[in-house]
Amino acid sequence: MSRESSYLRHPFWQALAVLVGSYLLFKFGIGYLLPAIGVHSAPVPSSVLLQYMLTVVVALLLYVSTSEDRWTRFKEPLRQVLVDPDKRVLRVALLVALPLLVGFLTYGRVRADVGAPPSLRSIHPAPPNQITFRGEPISLTGLENPLREHGSFEEHLAAGSTVYVQNCMPCHGDRLDGEGPATHALNPVPANFTDNGTISQLTESYVFWRIAKGGPGLPVEGAPWNSAMPAWEDLLTADEIWAVTLFIYERSGSTPRTWEESNEGEGH
Amino acid sequence: MAGGSGFRFARCALGMRSLLASLRGLRIVAAALAARIPGAAWSMPLPVGLSRVRWMGVMIAVLVALLPPARLAPAQDAASGEAIYRAWCLECHGAEGRGDGPAATHMLPRPRDFVGARYQIRTTASGELPTDDDLMRVMRDGLPGTAMPGWPNLSDQEKRDVVAYIKSFSPFFERETPEVLQRSADPGGGADRALAGREVYGTLECARCHGEQGRGDGRSAPTLEDWRGFPVRAADLSEPWLFNGGMGADAIHTRFLTGVDGTPMPSNQDALEAGVVTEEDLWDLAHYVAGLGPAEAPELEEVVRVERREQLPDGPADEAWDDLPRFYFPLVGQIVEPPRQFSPTVDGVWVQGVHDGAELALRVEWHDPSNSPDPGWQEWQDKIAGALYSDESAIPVEPLPDLLALQFPMTFSDGRGRPYFLMGEGRNPVYLWLWHSRRGAVEGRATGLGTAEVVDSGAGLTASAEWEAGRWRVVFRRPLAAADDGMLSFSEGAPIPIAFFAWDGSSGETGTRGSISAWYFIGLQPPPSNAVFMAPLVAFLVTGGLGMFAVRRAQKSYRG
Amino acid sequence: MLQKTRLLATVAAAGLVWACGGGGDAGGDGDAGDAGGETAAPVVDPATAGAISGLIAFEGEAPAAERIDMAEEPECDDAYPGDGALTQHALVSSDGMLGNVFVYVKEGLGAGFPTPSQPAVLDQENCRYHPHIVGLQVDQPLLIRNSDPILHNINTQPSINRGFNISQPQAGMETTRDFGMAEVMIPVKCDVHGWMSAFVGVVDHPYFAVSRGDGAFSLPNLPPGDYVVEAWHELFGTQTANVTVGEGATAEVSFTFNAGMARNAVVPLGDPLIIKHAEDGSLTAVREPADD
Repeated sequence: MSRESSYLRHPFWQALAVLVGSYLLFKFGIGYLLPAIGVHSAPVPSSVLLQYMLTVVVALLLYVSTSEDRWTRFKEPLRQVLVDPDKRVLRVALLVALPLLVGFLTYGRVRADVGAPPSLRSIHPAPPNQITFRGEPISLTGLENPLREHGSFEEHLAAGSTVYVQNCMPCHGDRLDGEGPATHALNPVPANFTDNGTISQLTESYVFWRIAKGGPGLPVEGAPWNSAMPAWEDLLTADEIWAVTLFIYERSGSTPRTWEESNEGEGH
Repeated sequence: MAGGSGFRFARCALGMRSLLASLRGLRIVAAALAARIPGAAWSMPLPVGLSRVRWMGVMIAVLVALLPPARLAPAQDAASGEAIYRAWCLECHGAEGRGDGPAATHMLPRPRDFVGARYQIRTTASGELPTDDDLMRVMRDGLPGTAMPGWPNLSDQEKRDVVAYIKSFSPFFERETPEVLQRSADPGGGADRALAGREVYGTLECARCHGEQGRGDGRSAPTLEDWRGFPVRAADLSEPWLFNGGMGADAIHTRFLTGVDGTPMPSNQDALEAGVVTEEDLWDLAHYVAGLGPAEAPELEEVVRVERREQLPDGPADEAWDDLPRFYFPLVGQIVEPPRQFSPTVDGVWVQGVHDGAELALRVEWHDPSNSPDPGWQEWQDKIAGALYSDESAIPVEPLPDLLALQFPMTFSDGRGRPYFLMGEGRNPVYLWLWHSRRGAVEGRATGLGTAEVVDSGAGLTASAEWEAGRWRVVFRRPLAAADDGMLSFSEGAPIPIAFFAWDGSSGETGTRGSISAWYFIGLQPPPSNAVFMAPLVAFLVTGGLGMFAVRRAQKSYRG
Repeated sequence: MLQKTRLLATVAAAGLVWACGGGGDAGGDGDAGDAGGETAAPVVDPATAGAISGLIAFEGEAPAAERIDMAEEPECDDAYPGDGALTQHALVSSDGMLGNVFVYVKEGLGAGFPTPSQPAVLDQENCRYHPHIVGLQVDQPLLIRNSDPILHNINTQPSINRGFNISQPQAGMETTRDFGMAEVMIPVKCDVHGWMSAFVGVVDHPYFAVSRGDGAFSLPNLPPGDYVVEAWHELFGTQTANVTVGEGATAEVSFTFNAGMARNAVVPLGDPLIIKHAEDGSLTAVREPADD
């Protein structure tokens, strides 16, 4: 048996290879390789990565310890490092390097900067049942977009398009994906209407409320201070808001949630 | 290089096209032939009675007939392009392609006018049209620093169709075929090259428009116009991530030779051909300009690290600031409440902070080509007002000052529950540091845009400012503790919200017209404690001890 | 049938050779079928040739010349002692004659006049263009020279031709360009020195002139015929006149501009441009003032 294949068959090196391989997969594979082949993905947050790696370690330990022989072979390289006289240099080096590394990491934790406060924010807080729009009470419950019932759909769409480009586009983007010329300066980033986690989850009345009352109109759990969304109530008429609502659903290829669906699923 | 050569190419292309048209004719003839020859099929034996010459003719006809049509006709469908244009492009570029859609009036630079067909970002000589590849590149990547985004939602074929359609707006594309300008390869950078480039920057008088430090503050900057008479800002060369044609020496070199047509930026190709500048010079210059700004757009960090030092720096130019970390925050136009500003001057601020346990100093730095109010920029101010503010009231006519407002919450909170980022609102006001380019700084309070009033925390806010070569640097200082309980005291160790609002007077920015930022934070470092050093030491010793123990145990058990 | 096939291919190939190799044509369509060679240049018979001459007058009070602040460019500023450099938008003589008016035959001429190889010259000296108004023929070289030891850029802003913008950073630098289409007028500016402006008139025949300081102009060696003559001024717009030139005769025509015409003037820059196709393939450009 050649030296290479003995490494390949050795449980210790196998385990190490699986460990390194899965780290690379979680760290780069999911976040960067999948998008490269066209699958929608995002980098894995470090806390989740830690969780995944712990699972892998436990699985590996289970695997190597299932057979006595494998367990012994697994421990062999460790034993060599700890005991064998010819590994003395490596042993001393590890005894110095590992504590130094731990010390350094600890230093990094202790001197940590003042961080931003955690942003605990409900993305779609429950809407009120009724709002006051330009002095008039409007009941949101059961409310549908009136423009879908009256007039020419094409005309409403064109009107909505103009409202959109003159008011919404800088932040929500030409492509309605929340990537407008002003987006880079906003925190949190504006909603991406082409993402099915946004307006597809909402009724049109909800969207009307969000446009009319904006960030300042959010309840506390929606972190109103953390939104750059203006309240358009004084700047757009109700018809303009309904038209732009129609437009963003139509152009992003989304369908509004209906009130029947909303009653089945509890809230938003 | 003369207009004539472009013309000759146009004719050449037309000739090509007619040759292709004739080939298409041949295909028809060949098809007709095939139908007439009895039992015609390409594998049939040679029909008797045809001379060799005629047979050759048939063979050629057959070969031509077999050419896939795609090779002959351009694989672009302007009709499909039109549908896409109507859906995605029309609102800015207009129904007739004149760059006058409903969204255009807010934009500077204005959307491209496809009828006039002056294209800025090309790989062709000045005065020539862009190639299809040039147009595709812009559709793919967008134009940084403008409202034009990239279009990843459109497939390459869809983009090609749109290119065919936007070309149909201008008869120029029928008359001329653009040709890529040949450039030398980048010989690579280096400190010497950039140093030599500084010389070329002087020889070519780049500073006339771009300024001595490249911040777009040259003497001619206030007079610059595009070909339609709209004001143009000379590019701020220290912010390369906003270059329309992309950053990096190669892209910059391309702009030197092609010029940026429709704007005051000329092509240097003629100067190169005349021997006034050399290839070396232009690459030196490209590397010098590339080095005027960072190699990548600055990364956004949410918290300004305000370090604790024994002594605070003296003024805005104190070298002590150089040792402190800088934090960049992007700003965008205030586009919520009218009158609005969609294309503001100030696009970001750099912030540094330091404190000594008793007093806080913040240095805010931003690029503004004018030290306003400046009568030399009055004409510019009028032009900006004409280009951007005509649809809304309140056009300022007087020379205006530059202003900066730092917003904080009125009282300390845990960083949550901040006021509305646009100067607060009724129940939740903001506490302001308001700086005026001629009057210095005062403290203020606001409950919404345009409601700022002067207040006094009793702590004593001071500011010192310096404008130099297109850059403001303002240092604010205030004791950490406010005398008034109802006003913000700066405490160590917790993130304190901060937001920015900047106005360029020479662009007519005042009131609600200006640049804004979202909320960020400043974090005052607490005094150094021994824990910073003790904890790592303990960790080191414990780990080392455990290691030794493990080794001992192992050796004992295996040997023993 | 086969002969026809070969004929088609030959014609197409000939068309390609003509298009890529030929020169000197004033921009006909590139259709392969037209490949019949160049039309012979019309010969003007000196025995019958006439001329048009005349004067450009100006009524009323001309807009006053303003002082140009050239302090930023001492090399240029020193060339204008006393009052300094003055704007020259309206060059009105003491007896009310208007200079710098571009006069040309707009209609009535045939095509195919030979293109002069002698360049027209546009010089930049002491931060001004010399001359202020340049006339030249289609495809005639325009020699652009920088006589100043400082940077100028030459930003041409035509509507029918393609506009170029080039730098001339050194004294003595020369660039030659030409324009392939007739166009009256092409604005030229230097962005470094915002006050510098010139206009280039491109026509497809040799019958153009710029009125002198005393308002006089002449279009000599003109074949007898009926013509439409146009006079163009940068502030006061255009005027046309119908002129009949008899054999060996000099027709007189005069134009009178007044200050009130300034608002009707063509706007050289700033408004959107519309290019219109004509049936014969020619193009015209119109600037329409924006509604907003």
